[in-house]
Amino acid sequence: MTSTSNPKTPIQDAPVHRVLLGKKQILVTENEPLLVQLERAGIPVEYQCREGYCSSCSIKLLRGQVIYPFEPLAWVQSGYLLACCAIVKSDIEIAFFD
Amino acid sequence: MSYSTFNRKHFDSTKEPMFFGENVNVARYDQQKHPIFEKLIEKQLSFFWRPEEVDLSTDRKDFQRLEAHEQHIFLSNLKYQTLLDSVQGRSPNVAFLPIVSLPELETWIETWSFSETIHSRSYTHIIRNIVNDPTKIFDDIVTNEEITKRADSVSIYYDRLIEMVNIYNTMGTGTFNIPGKGDIKISMPALKKALYLTIASVNVLEAIRFYVSFACSFGFAERTLMEGNAKIIKLIARDEALHLTGTQHMLNLMASGKDDPEMAIIATECKDEMRDIFIEAAEQEKEWANYLFKDGSMIGLNAQILGQYVEYITNVRMQAVGLEPHFATKNNPIPWINAWLVSDNVQVAPQEAEISSYLVGQTDNSLDDSDFDDFDL
Repeated sequence: MTSTSNPKTPIQDAPVHRVLLGKKQILVTENEPLLVQLERAGIPVEYQCREGYCSSCSIKLLRGQVIYPFEPLAWVQSGYLLACCAIVKSDIEIAFFD
Repeated sequence: MSYSTFNRKHFDSTKEPMFFGENVNVARYDQQKHPIFEKLIEKQLSFFWRPEEVDLSTDRKDFQRLEAHEQHIFLSNLKYQTLLDSVQGRSPNVAFLPIVSLPELETWIETWSFSETIHSRSYTHIIRNIVNDPTKIFDDIVTNEEITKRADSVSIYYDRLIEMVNIYNTMGTGTFNIPGKGDIKISMPALKKALYLTIASVNVLEAIRFYVSFACSFGFAERTLMEGNAKIIKLIARDEALHLTGTQHMLNLMASGKDDPEMAIIATECKDEMRDIFIEAAEQEKEWANYLFKDGSMIGLNAQILGQYVEYITNVRMQAVGLEPHFATKNNPIPWINAWLVSDNVQVAPQEAEISSYLVGQTDNSLDDSDFDDFDL
């Protein structure tokens, strides 16, 4: 995958947030969307368009805050986030299918 | 009541519901009730492609080398996709345009349906390239039992809505005796229910029904077979992903009550029926996978794996329209498919023969006089 093979170098003092997924915890920055950072951490996420219109990468957001630099075309259900374009802005907890 | 191609009433279209309000008069996009549909139009236009841009000469040779059961898989999928896009190339226009009330949604429906006609033309392009007599293939679509079974399911909701709207547009509301059909009750809630279920069934068509064929096409291409076909399917999959977002927005807007409060009640009443539409389609697609692989599997894919994929993708799609996932499958059994479905502008699948984004809408701005050296008038 091209998008994961070319990671951007995190800026030294960029805020780092914790993402809790079940018992796993990974650290993410605000430099890139959540999807690529999950993939880099070895967590497979369903995706298709990677630009916010297909809603395949929709993930449950149990707590915490994300923002979208551009409003995605896909409908984002309340309590969910769109991983391909969401920027994590606080420590968050996410979940896939129950 | 009766449809007018140019409604003479003066009204504010931003106050109208998506459907069953005033007929649209001025096609204006400066003010929009739901700007999402204008954004979908722009995105769809940016996707424009033509099947003839994809070279299929290698596919012809590949096809001749496929084993008989693999040819069956390939051709059956093409027939099924031809059926689905035949329906989709006309039905959104026929069913939804007479009842739509927002200019941006009206134009989205037309843009959406138009893109489906490109898909239909691409199937002819593929079939013409791989067999000598396309008629045999096309004729089988209306006679093959496995295909016609599916034709019934994909058209039933459309046909019912179209019939009801036809009666409503000529007679209004009430109970009418239609020769050969008996008494048909036409009321606004009944019309809205038929509309909601039709949109749910279209969402299922575009979000689930195509994906068994997609998986097989990309399964061949993973073995560097039928790569021109895979490139076309990749473009079709990109369009379909956008279309399903369109129907997801319609369903979610209706259920939210923000567009039409009465529709929110209907969405709640229809929840179980909508759920059944998703589950029934998934079961039919699993049966389809069994039919495809009845004479043998292909490397990397079999009926069981495809069945699990159908269950998985159905869960994803159900969640997107606010339904609880139904199936136990929680993981994608064929994660490699996403690398083919991705619509990045970069080459994501290194095994691709060519980069599809190079083929579409390309202009070269860096020309100088030397580029015309071999050009004579």
